[in-house]
Amino acid sequence: MKKILEVMGMVCPFPLVEAKEAIKDLHSGDELEVQFDCTQGTESIPRWAAEEGHEVTEYEQVGEAAWTITIKKK
Amino acid sequence: MGQMVITGLICGALLGFVMQRGRFCLTGGFRDMYLTKDNRMFYALLIAIAIQSVGVYTLISLKVFEFNAGSLPIVAVIVGSFIFGIGIILAGGCATGTWYRAGEGLIGSWIALAGYMLVAAMMKSGVLLPLDMAIKETSIETNSIAETIGVNNWLIITIFVVAVAFIVYRELKKPRLKIPGLKPKKTGLAHILFEKRWNPFITATIIGVIATLAWPLSVATGRIGGLGITTPSANILQFLVTGEISFINWGVFLVLGIFLGSLFAAKMSGEFRFRIPDTKTAINSFYGGLMMGFGAGLAGGCSIGNGLVMTAMMTWQGWISLGFMILGTWTASYFVFVRPSKKAKQAAQVITA
Repeated sequence: MKKILEVMGMVCPFPLVEAKEAIKDLHSGDELEVQFDCTQGTESIPRWAAEEGHEVTEYEQVGEAAWTITIKKK
Repeated sequence: MGQMVITGLICGALLGFVMQRGRFCLTGGFRDMYLTKDNRMFYALLIAIAIQSVGVYTLISLKVFEFNAGSLPIVAVIVGSFIFGIGIILAGGCATGTWYRAGEGLIGSWIALAGYMLVAAMMKSGVLLPLDMAIKETSIETNSIAETIGVNNWLIITIFVVAVAFIVYRELKKPRLKIPGLKPKKTGLAHILFEKRWNPFITATIIGVIATLAWPLSVATGRIGGLGITTPSANILQFLVTGEISFINWGVFLVLGIFLGSLFAAKMSGEFRFRIPDTKTAINSFYGGLMMGFGAGLAGGCSIGNGLVMTAMMTWQGWISLGFMILGTWTASYFVFVRPSKKAKQAAQVITA
């Protein structure tokens, strides 16, 4: 299953806060795709995923100040 | 005048560029010490302070200029810094952070900046001046830590540098976590400048050097000081509404430079876009900006003026301010992030029970 979390326009650290909440509802192996545009999230979201041991399956800049990252729950 | 414009803009632009690319955010740093027990950004700040301290006191020893720590308006520093700390959480960035995020196209930061400049100007020369002066009346004569203890400044600096070196050594010894990054699309210098993730300790080192350079550059134009954000931000508004050219100084070009440097960095790395906040964020940004202006005006500096510069000058003002600023961010973080998430959890439990 893949869940999409669209947090465009949200300022830091809310995209990360939302991502932490959203992943709780997922089962192991499920994926969470976060679409965000706060520059600090480019650092804080993958760092959080790495620290928690989740796998980042996709990480892409999709446009001017717009990113998408897909995290597979451990 | 020409020199003031050029060196101010260049120094500011360098700072704005480095902060944007290095994601140097003290608000986030202070907040995460509490929320995620992550001290990396705080340690990075200590590195920048240490470098600047050694740099500036070397220049002072070489008689390039003189520095007087002045007196310590203790109540104003404590109250102002605490309020400033609350304000930067609401605004989503400290004074400098707000300037460089404005350069990234965040309209919320433009709103915060407007509130910040307004209240800072009201404190410096407007209706809030009597209040500002009344609170600042309670003051302690010596502001220099070395003077109070009765030792040489270099002794304090040496102890501090050794402590920071120890912290850095301990941090670097920790096993590195592999953090997934974006696939590089650029190569060479363009990759390093406009794409690569910067190590916060390296960013902090560069900021320490820029903060040191700021002193002689500013002094050369007659402004005795280093990096400063609040007074220059107020000065811009004061100049705009009075037309008094005397409000224009090196600091004004410094803050304008931060904006331009960040704008350039964000444009070049594909990180610039006008982003419009929702109503709640916009209102919080404005309140945050007002509190930032009031707090920094009272405390005589923001996270840069007090937290980075006055700390490096080894003054009580800098270190007391830094402490209360951090307490302010923690207090606001509790109400903005911790309590709502606790409430949500409780609500969820009630439903499942």
